[in-house]
Amino acid sequence: MTAPARRRDPLGMACGAAAFAVAAAFAVLVAFLAVEARPVANPGFLLEMPSRMADGAGVGPALAGTLWLALLTAGLAVPVGVGTAVYLEEYAPRTRLAALVGSALASLAGTPPVVYGVAGLALFVRGLGMGPSLLAGGCTLAALALPTVVVASRAAIRSVPQGVRLAAYGLGATRWQVVRGEVLPAAAPGMLAGVCLAFTRTVGAAAPLLVLGAVSFMTFAPRGPADPLTSLPTQIFAWTKRSEQDFAALAAGAGVALLLVLLAMNLAVLAVRRRMEDASR
Amino acid sequence: MTVARLPGAGAASHGLADRLAGPVLLACTVAAAGTLVALAGVLGVEAGRFFAQVSPVRFFTEADWTPFAEEPRFGVLPLLAATAQITAGAGVFGVPAGLMTAVYLEHYAGARTERALTAVTALLAGVPTVVYGCFALDFVTPALRSLWPGTEAFNALSACLVVGLMIVPTVVLLSRAALKSVPAQLMEAGLALGASRGRVVARVLVPAALGGIVAAVFLALARAVGETMIVTLAAGNQAQPTWSPLEGLRTLTAFIAQSGPGGAPSGSLQYGAVFAASAVLLAFSWGLHAAGMFLVSRRRRGGAR
Repeated sequence: MTAPARRRDPLGMACGAAAFAVAAAFAVLVAFLAVEARPVANPGFLLEMPSRMADGAGVGPALAGTLWLALLTAGLAVPVGVGTAVYLEEYAPRTRLAALVGSALASLAGTPPVVYGVAGLALFVRGLGMGPSLLAGGCTLAALALPTVVVASRAAIRSVPQGVRLAAYGLGATRWQVVRGEVLPAAAPGMLAGVCLAFTRTVGAAAPLLVLGAVSFMTFAPRGPADPLTSLPTQIFAWTKRSEQDFAALAAGAGVALLLVLLAMNLAVLAVRRRMEDASR
Repeated sequence: MTVARLPGAGAASHGLADRLAGPVLLACTVAAAGTLVALAGVLGVEAGRFFAQVSPVRFFTEADWTPFAEEPRFGVLPLLAATAQITAGAGVFGVPAGLMTAVYLEHYAGARTERALTAVTALLAGVPTVVYGCFALDFVTPALRSLWPGTEAFNALSACLVVGLMIVPTVVLLSRAALKSVPAQLMEAGLALGASRGRVVARVLVPAALGGIVAAVFLALARAVGETMIVTLAAGNQAQPTWSPLEGLRTLTAFIAQSGPGGAPSGSLQYGAVFAASAVLLAFSWGLHAAGMFLVSRRRRGGAR
């Protein structure tokens, strides 16, 4: 297809305009955050405590809370989710129950995050007596991430060619040796991609934590899972709700901090994936 | 599909790891399923307790939602209507934009533009919804108010625009997959018959991918239904139902997020109302999601023929 013919096509022009409008909206979003966050662009902002005064307030506790939540969520959702995926793909007898568990987990991916917060409030915060702590937040976010982790891991495991398994069994490997030595290494890059996507959504989730009872005014940085629940997304929410202009700058600044955390996480995972793929080649 | 059913596979268990692996992995599955069943269970129990006190008939037919009033009323219709309004509004902006972007990327864009715009949609997908909410309230709403001075500080239009932007990546990703699955020969055949590129795209390729595109729309709308932060921040918490896009309203999700159930005592009507609203929200978004998944699976089966 030659360029002039493409250019004269009205549908192509309309679709191109729509695509560039989407790109422009993204550019406006980024520019808004950058301009709005300018007043708080100093390293102290990442360490300071939030305050009743906008001046000198920071995201120290919220940032620490988000890092704790990411750690807790990863520690809970990744082993359980990957284990579930391996079991369903490689171990489970092909019964109706296994199929039901698999499809139920897949359909849970359509559940609104805020509903996990409501259920987590009844189960973790009240039922199991965790209170509005980072631990309750981590458990809730892990439950939120779990279906996506399982679905992505199963897809990655399924994409490993059957010949790899057959060859290993043919050489006398046991099932676990096949899984540990062949299937998991081959599926790992794909799993990481899916898990990372799940985590970007989960670490940025504000609604479930808000329902659990996240606090946005802490005078110390949380040091363990039993400390009060606080996080960057809920801090952004609290600051955005205040109508004063100074707090809008804080909200945008916290938004930039959150985006940087997510970007760093994605880049780290990308680097690990590259190394894995190079190593397997 | 897997080796699991090959005779003798894994029959010989040597080390400790081999003997432990099966039970440990089964325990993971039980833990995963158990947690999710427990979460669904508490939701059901609390909603059930609420409906033991409030008649479900009145819940679904009355148009008055004042859970914190002296004499609380629990008619869910205004919340349901607001959720439907925001979802429809987001669809009006997000679906055409996403679909046209997908068509452009798949059938028109050069390799470089394609790569750049794909990266932009991936980045849009990674933006947390609370950041979108901040953008809606602090940028889009002031812009709307300077255009139409009568616009309220909390308004549906701002929420619809930004939720629409939020669902664009979902629409693009899924409808591109549908467009990709249409055989390239159709395009070549159409062009060879002398049809213009636009005509082939509009009359042949998009109709051929329609099942997948409709599925993409359903899955994206399911996300819009459950969207909480953007609507809470931008559309506010206004109890009065309204048709004006320049006024605020209150969706199911906004009620759940703003009612502060963490402060309500267990067993109170206000606490139960949050669970009842969550159950309604769940039914709404699962309905859309299930319809989308059904269409995706039907398309897959159709494609195998």
